[in-house]
Amino acid sequence: MRSMTLYVHREKGSPLHRMDPLTKLLYVFTSVIISYVLADHLSVLLVLAVSISLLIAGKVARFILPIISVSFVLLASILIVQGFFHPDRATVLWEIGPITLYKEGFSIAFLILLRVLNMVCAFGVLILTTKPDELVETLIQKGLSPRFGYVLLSVLQIVPQMMTLTGKIMDSQRARGLETEGSLWVRIKSFIPLLGPVILRSLAETRERSIALEVRGFNATGKRTRLHRIQPYKYGFALKALLAVVLLSVIVWRIWS
Amino acid sequence: MSHLRVEQLKYRYPNQTGLALDGITFTVNKGEFIGIAGSNTAGKTTLCHAICGLVPHFFKGAYGGRVLIDGNEVLTSTLSDVTSKVGFIFENPFSQLSGAKFTVADEIAFGLENLGLSREEMHARIQDSLHMLGIEHIQRKNPFDLSGGQMQRLAIASVIAMKPEILVLDEPTSQLDPQGAREVFNIVEKLAIEGMTIVMAEQKMEKLAAYSDRILLLHEGKLVQDGDPSTIFSRDDLLELGVEPPIYTTIAKKYGLCRNQSNSFPVTLEELLTFEFNMPLEGLSSTSEKQSTSVIQAEELSFSYPDGQKVLHTISIGLSNEPIAIIGQNGAGKTTLVKLIKALLRPSAGRIVIDSIDAKDTTAAKLAKKVGLIFQNPDDQIFKRTVLEEVMFGPLHSGFSKEEAKKMALLQLEAVGLSDKAEENPYDVSLAERKLIGVASILAMDPEIIIFDEPTMGQDYQGKLRLKEIIADLHSKGKLVICILHDMDFVADVFGRTIVMSQGKVLFDGPTIEAFSHQDINRQAQIEQPHRFQIARLLQERRGFVNQP
Amino acid sequence: MVRNRVWSFRFSTAALVLIPAAVGINYIGKLFVELLKLPLWIDSIGTVLSSMLAGPLVGALVGIVNNVIYGFTTSPVSFVYAITSAVIGLVTGIMAYKGWISNIGKALVLGFVVGLIAATVSTPLNIAFWEGTTANVWGDALFAWMVAKGNPLWLASFADSVVVDVPDKMVTVLISFLIFRSLPKKVLTMYDTEQEIERL
Repeated sequence: MRSMTLYVHREKGSPLHRMDPLTKLLYVFTSVIISYVLADHLSVLLVLAVSISLLIAGKVARFILPIISVSFVLLASILIVQGFFHPDRATVLWEIGPITLYKEGFSIAFLILLRVLNMVCAFGVLILTTKPDELVETLIQKGLSPRFGYVLLSVLQIVPQMMTLTGKIMDSQRARGLETEGSLWVRIKSFIPLLGPVILRSLAETRERSIALEVRGFNATGKRTRLHRIQPYKYGFALKALLAVVLLSVIVWRIWS
Repeated sequence: MSHLRVEQLKYRYPNQTGLALDGITFTVNKGEFIGIAGSNTAGKTTLCHAICGLVPHFFKGAYGGRVLIDGNEVLTSTLSDVTSKVGFIFENPFSQLSGAKFTVADEIAFGLENLGLSREEMHARIQDSLHMLGIEHIQRKNPFDLSGGQMQRLAIASVIAMKPEILVLDEPTSQLDPQGAREVFNIVEKLAIEGMTIVMAEQKMEKLAAYSDRILLLHEGKLVQDGDPSTIFSRDDLLELGVEPPIYTTIAKKYGLCRNQSNSFPVTLEELLTFEFNMPLEGLSSTSEKQSTSVIQAEELSFSYPDGQKVLHTISIGLSNEPIAIIGQNGAGKTTLVKLIKALLRPSAGRIVIDSIDAKDTTAAKLAKKVGLIFQNPDDQIFKRTVLEEVMFGPLHSGFSKEEAKKMALLQLEAVGLSDKAEENPYDVSLAERKLIGVASILAMDPEIIIFDEPTMGQDYQGKLRLKEIIADLHSKGKLVICILHDMDFVADVFGRTIVMSQGKVLFDGPTIEAFSHQDINRQAQIEQPHRFQIARLLQERRGFVNQP
Repeated sequence: MVRNRVWSFRFSTAALVLIPAAVGINYIGKLFVELLKLPLWIDSIGTVLSSMLAGPLVGALVGIVNNVIYGFTTSPVSFVYAITSAVIGLVTGIMAYKGWISNIGKALVLGFVVGLIAATVSTPLNIAFWEGTTANVWGDALFAWMVAKGNPLWLASFADSVVVDVPDKMVTVLISFLIFRSLPKKVLTMYDTEQEIERL
C-alpha cells in the first residue's frame, strides 16, 4: 500500500552488508578525516580509491551515482569558482577566448573535488549497505538513550507517512478553489494553504502520539530491555583497532613531517 | 474492595472556564464491563483520561476529588504507575502506533521493552497477544501498511501484552469502516468474556447495550445516571441528552413491547425477538420528492492508476433530481468516482458531463462553484486561525468579495450549529465538529452539486440529525446531493435512491428499499443491511417458520 | 523556583515526539517548495517552529537530527551543516523565549538575526570543507566576483552565505511565525512547561 521509505539502503548480502554498523561508521570518519588531513592529490585519490573499492565490494557502486548527482551543483561550483577565480592564480593552464583557467586554482579545485567525492563515497559505503534502523538499534544497545533512539527511528517511519499526505491536501485545497499552478505569485500564495494543514495536523497528532507513548510506559524509570539481540560481529574489534591505528598514524605523520 | 473507585471527581482543562467533569462518583468491580454513553460534549473522553491518569498528569489543569485504582490514588501516583495497571485505547488507530517500530511484532514489543521484560517473556507475550487478536499472519508487516481495523487491533494487542488490570476504550471504532469496526468489536467481546475489567465509551449504543453490565450516562460533565442498560435506555429524555437509544429499544417503544410493569424495554436483538410483533418492510426507507437539479452524466467511464491498477470499469450512470447514496466496500471505487466528477482525476476512458460541461475541459478549482466535494478528513484542509476564516477560504477563492464570503460563512456555520465557535481555533474543537466545519466550508461556496464523502463517521446523534436536515434543506433548494456512506441506517433513513458499487462496477442503482431487499446484492457487495431491515427479515423468517404446516 | 525550565535537559514525551514531526515539516516544506517551483530553500520551518514551541534545546536537536537523517537518506554533504541547523534552532528558541515573536516586525528581526548567525556559523565550515563556496548560484557568483576583486577569502565566503541565508531565514521565520500564531491552545498548552496541577 504505502511502501514509501526514506531508505537508500540496498539488500545485497555482501560481506560489507554483514559488517557491523559501528565499524562502518568509524570507517566513514577515518576516511573523511584522512582526506582532509592529507594535502597532496595522489594520497587523496588513493583514499577515494579505497572508498570506491569498498562500494564495488558491497555490490552497490552504481547506486552511488544518484547520491553524487545531488551534490553536483556543489562540485561544479567548486570547480568553476576556484578554477577561474582563486586568489593565487598565476600560471595560465588554458585560455579559451576571454576565459582563463589557472593552474593553481584548478589544482586546489581538483583536490577539494576529490575530498568531496570521497566524503560522498565513504558515507555511501555506510548508508548503501546498512539499514538505518539497524544502525540506531546498535547504537541503543551500545548505550544511546532509548528515548533518543526512539526519536531517530520515528523520523524514519513518520516522515514518509507525512509525505503521503501531500496528495490529499492538494486535492482538498483545489476542491476549495485554490490554484497551485500559474504565475510565481499564484504559487507563492498557495504555499501556506498547502503547508499549513500538514503542520497543524502533525502538531495536533503529537498530542495523541504522546498519549499513546505514555500509556505504553515510555516514561517508565526502570531499566529497559530490547527485543532483538544484535549479532556480534567477529572482526569488529580488529577492524576498528586497525582503523584507529591508520587514522592516528596519518595524523601523527602529518604533524611530524 | 472495588477495583476502580471514582469519588466526586471534578476537572477543568488548562485555560478553560467550564468544568469538563463535575462531581462524578461511581465504582467498578473486577470483571465488570462498564459503558459510558453521552453526546460528543458530555465528557466521555475526559473521564477515560482520568481513569488512566492522563488527567491530571499529562494535561495538568484543575483537579478535584479522587480516583482510586486498587486503593491507590491516581493523583499521588506517577503516570507510569497508573498506566502499568490501566491500558488505554482511543479513536485514532494511526496515532496510537509508536511510530518507531518496523514490524507488527516489534510494535507490540515497544511497551514491553519499556517495562524492562526479559527477551523470553517478551516473545511469549507477543505470540499470545498476536494470537488473541487474530493478527499472527501480519506480524512481519509494517504497522503503517495495515488497514484501520488491523491497526486498531494491533493497538489493542500492544496494550494487552502489557497485562493491564483495567482496559479503557474511548470510542475505539469511531474512525473505522464497518468491516474494521466489526473486527474490533469481536475482540472487545472476547476480552469481556474472558473476564477483563473494561470501561468503554461508545456511540454505537447497540454495542454498549450488548456488552455492558452497567452504563454511565453523562451529560455536560455530570453523571446523569449509573444503571443497567435497560434502565438507562428506557429513559424518556435520552434524545434530549443527545443519546439515541439502541434501535431495538426504539422499535420496542414504538410497538409498546415492554416487559411486565417495570417500564423497561428490550435493548438487544435477542431480547427484542422474545416479543411477538410484526414489522412490515414498507416505510422503512425514505422516499424523497423529486426536484429539478443539475445533471451529471457518466458515459462508459473507466479509470486506472498509472501503475495499471484498474479502479473503475466502464460505468454509465446519470445522477440528478434527488439525494443519492453511494454504498459499497472499501476499494469499490466510490471515492474515485466522485474525484472524477470533481475533475481531481482524469478518466482513462469515457467521459463525465455536468450540465453540458465536460469535466475534462475544466479544473477542480474552476469547478468550485459548480461541484462541492466534502472530503472525509477535514484535517487535510484546515489551516486557518479561526473557524470563521477557515470557512471563508473557499468563497474568497471562488470570486466572492470579503463581505459576501463572511455572510455566507456565518450562514453555513449557523446551519451546522457552530455559530458560537466561529472565533475558536478549528483544532480546539472536536474532530466531529471539525467535520462539520469541512461541510460548512464547502457549502459556503454555494455549489449546485454537493458531494459528501462519509459525513456521518464519528458523529453523535445530534450531528447526524444536523446532517439530515442539511441534506433535506439542500434538496429543497434544488441542489443535487450525492453521499458516500458506510452508515446503512442513515442511508435507509435519508435517501430514496441508492447506488451499490463493488469492484469498480455499479451493482445496483434504484430505490433504496430495493437495494436492501436484494440479499444477493448485499452479499456480493459485502454490505450490511440497515438494522430495521435485519429485524424485519428475522421476523419474516420466524413467521414463515411458524406458518409452515 | 527558577524560571529556567527553558534549558531543561529532561525532555518531556511531548517534546521528544515533536522532534520527528518537526523534521517531517522541514522535509514537507522543502517538498512543496520544489513542487511549486519557488525560488528559495525554506527547509527549516520545522526547526524554527519547534524552537518557538518547545525551546532552544529541542530546536537545536531538531536541527541536528534533521541534517543527520537527511545526510543518511539523501545527501551526505548535509552532515557538515548539522551545526548550522542546531544553531538556527538554538538562536530562534532563545530569542522567541525573550519575546521576539510577539509581533510580525519582531519576527522579521528574529529572521534577520537567525540568517546572519547561520551565515556566520556556515562560513568556517564552507572554508574548511570547500574553500568557501556554498553551491548556491547567486551566492557563488558574488563569491567569485569578490575573490577576483582581491577581497579576503573569509569575507567573500561570508558574503556568499549572507546573501543566501538572510532572505531565506527571514521568509522561513515569517512563515513559521504566521503558522505559530494559528496554533490551537491544545497544542500550545502541551509545551507550556509552567503548567501545574491546580486543586479544586
